[in-house]
Amino acid sequence: MTNDDISWDDAGALFQIEEPSAPTRGRERRPGCGIGIDLGTTHSLVAIAPHGEPPRALPDEEGRVLLPSVVSYLEEAVEVGHGAHVRRVEDPARVVSSVKRFMGRGLEDIAFTHPYQLGTDGDSSVVRMHVGTARPVTPMEVSAEILRVLKARAEAELGEPVSGAVITVPAYFDDAQRQATKDAGRIAGLEIYRLLAEPTAAALAYGLDKFGDGGGRGLFAIYDLGGGTFDISILRLHDGVFQVLATGGDSALGGDDFDRAVAQHLLAAAKVAQPDAYQREEALMAARTAKESLSDLEAVMVSLPRSGLHEHALTRAQLDAIIEPIARRTVAACRLALKDAGVHTREIDGVVLVGGSTRVPLVRALVASTFRCEPLCDLDPDQVVAYGAAVQADILSGSEREGVTLLDVVPLSLGLETMGGIVEKIIPRNATIPIGARQVFTNYSEKQTGMVIHVLQGERELAADCRSLARFELTGLPRLPPSMARIEISFQLDADALLTVTARELMTGIKQTVEVRPTYGLAESEVDALVMESLDHAQEDYDARNLAEARVELGRVVLAVRTSVQEVGAVEGLLPDEERAQIEAALVQAELAMGPEGPREHRAINAAREALERVSEPFARRRMERALQAGMSGKSLAEIESALADERELDARRGSHDPEMTTPDHGAS
Amino acid sequence: MVNPSRSEDLEALSLTASDHFERLGVPRRHAVDREAFEQAYRERAQRVHPDRFAGGSSGQQRAAMEASAALNEAYRVLRDPVRRAEYLCQLAGIDVDSNDPRAGAPAMGQEFLIEMIERREAVEEARASGPAALDALRGEVEDELELALDTATAALAADDPQAAARALVKRRYLQRLLDEIDGDV
Repeated sequence: MTNDDISWDDAGALFQIEEPSAPTRGRERRPGCGIGIDLGTTHSLVAIAPHGEPPRALPDEEGRVLLPSVVSYLEEAVEVGHGAHVRRVEDPARVVSSVKRFMGRGLEDIAFTHPYQLGTDGDSSVVRMHVGTARPVTPMEVSAEILRVLKARAEAELGEPVSGAVITVPAYFDDAQRQATKDAGRIAGLEIYRLLAEPTAAALAYGLDKFGDGGGRGLFAIYDLGGGTFDISILRLHDGVFQVLATGGDSALGGDDFDRAVAQHLLAAAKVAQPDAYQREEALMAARTAKESLSDLEAVMVSLPRSGLHEHALTRAQLDAIIEPIARRTVAACRLALKDAGVHTREIDGVVLVGGSTRVPLVRALVASTFRCEPLCDLDPDQVVAYGAAVQADILSGSEREGVTLLDVVPLSLGLETMGGIVEKIIPRNATIPIGARQVFTNYSEKQTGMVIHVLQGERELAADCRSLARFELTGLPRLPPSMARIEISFQLDADALLTVTARELMTGIKQTVEVRPTYGLAESEVDALVMESLDHAQEDYDARNLAEARVELGRVVLAVRTSVQEVGAVEGLLPDEERAQIEAALVQAELAMGPEGPREHRAINAAREALERVSEPFARRRMERALQAGMSGKSLAEIESALADERELDARRGSHDPEMTTPDHGAS
Repeated sequence: MVNPSRSEDLEALSLTASDHFERLGVPRRHAVDREAFEQAYRERAQRVHPDRFAGGSSGQQRAAMEASAALNEAYRVLRDPVRRAEYLCQLAGIDVDSNDPRAGAPAMGQEFLIEMIERREAVEEARASGPAALDALRGEVEDELELALDTATAALAADDPQAAARALVKRRYLQRLLDEIDGDV
């Protein structure tokens, strides 16, 4: 649910534009400053394609493009990525991985095993993770930590703030999962241009030229098996229009399931029936490594020290047997998508592979046999989604770019619960978005003055089997004979496939405002609070960095002054006793300021440094002059002049920064 | 970023169209040229897509969103032959989604309703006796579904929306029966 208000009086307009939740809409977009983010289950990455350039993924300082989607809450300062990943075995409950599986989910949805302590808060159904922080964190906040790192990486590359981001989501994500992703982006301080379906992004990255008859036409399947989600999309490409005909999948099926199955096999081999969290984590990491190695090798050796398993052999045939039942589940989804698209297998011109899990040979073989053609995998399946997002972000930032039009669909039907718990579908699955549809409902008795609106998403007939998106009550309906009231409910899906529901009574045009509480999402006010909090944190982070820098700088000055005072020792006339005592006193003060009892604020530290510099400045100047005289004996006039000029220039430069600041160790050697 | 031609596109394709056929620019009849229909949709969808107005004013963005949503709804309804037929009936004043005695779906006779109840019972019997019997029943219902749609389109071509609506309502009962056979209910 994207808006909090249902107003009765906006007759006419299909779309409420003055949504309270969208104050940022229309904010100035800066061409070339849009970024594309693939927020994945196992890893995430950011790519840019400014001003029509080809997309490129951005690496960290060590040249690594993929950021493990792991967030460690072991220390006060949150750690994200590789550093967090290696600490998973230390305390699995406080190092969050695969958080995408929790996005937009309720406690009862989380049927898989995980090492986290989960709970809810008050009457909200939002899952909260107890990771040892003062306040439990929501999956959206964990995701926001990952997004912050990627945003910073992009800003370092662009040299200016990010204008907005396209974040990819599995095509099969429902409204709650999409909303959760968008909230995570907002908490991370990102303007979200668009949520883009991952398979659609991949198709965009491949571009028109790679496809079909060369004329940019054809019918394609995008098979996207990631760490935790599976998507299949059937697309038609036609003269610059990417039209998604149907999409399907499973938002809780992926390579992680392969890992879990292999881990179970390994623990069974180790005869560990009841693994503790540490043993399970170790087995999972070993399983993943083995799975990845078996894409190239026929057999690997696996050891689980915590479970007493040593040099256990695992062959590719064994791996295939373990994962085949899981991989087969994707085939059924492919068949359904083809049927929904009204397309025969033989009409498919090509299949594109996306997601790291499509490296598994068994998966490739299954795809080839299902679609009866060799899959395309020219682009890195781990990066292709981010490339597509970067291209779309560039377009949406306002760059003049050879554009393509994406016509995407809603993956799951949207409807309302009616009498008897039956779902009345308002927008069917695979309808092209944005889309609006209305349905008129009526009253069943004269006494009825209210109506419960229960918004659902899913394909099943009964409300109990569908996903509850929101529930709210309309009150103050006029008293009318049975079947005489006319209550029009409008569903509007925007280009992100996010839903807005509007209701009005047609007979009287009655005016009323109702708050909609998203069933598994954060309330708008809670998102706002988190955005504010992250801004506070930004100040804290900034302060912490300034403090650290001030300490380093003070330490450098203290060391330099102490060294030169000691070195000078007994050199005649250079350092009178009285001045030496002053400098020593200032040094003691400075060392106190650096110590554990010192101030926790960078300005106080800087003041201590400036005091030390002031006291030692005359001494430093004399040392410099002495060194200059000593150095210049026997040199040509030109050399001396040049050296003096350099010196004057240095002084001038120092002066322009800080009149009191000299470098005390100048000329010490 | 947003040149005048884009604004004109929005004006041309705004909500002024009176019905789904006009919105897509295709003739108001059941028979359709598939290729031309898809082409018309793609062209219009491209012109009014919100992405094209990403840098535009909020008014333009709103107009693009509304025009796209209306166009996509028109496409959804008209691309499907059954929904297209139902929509033509609606334009002729008969809403098969409504049970209003005057403008709603035509009432089916007692005889037909009894027949449907009996056929539902037959589905349960067939299910009990095995997949072959169920398959035979499915084939039968599928043929009738096709026939009902043919009847409706012929009636629409003959400008008899009442008869078309009757065939379409019958088709809905049959569709329900088919869903039951497939165990979707």
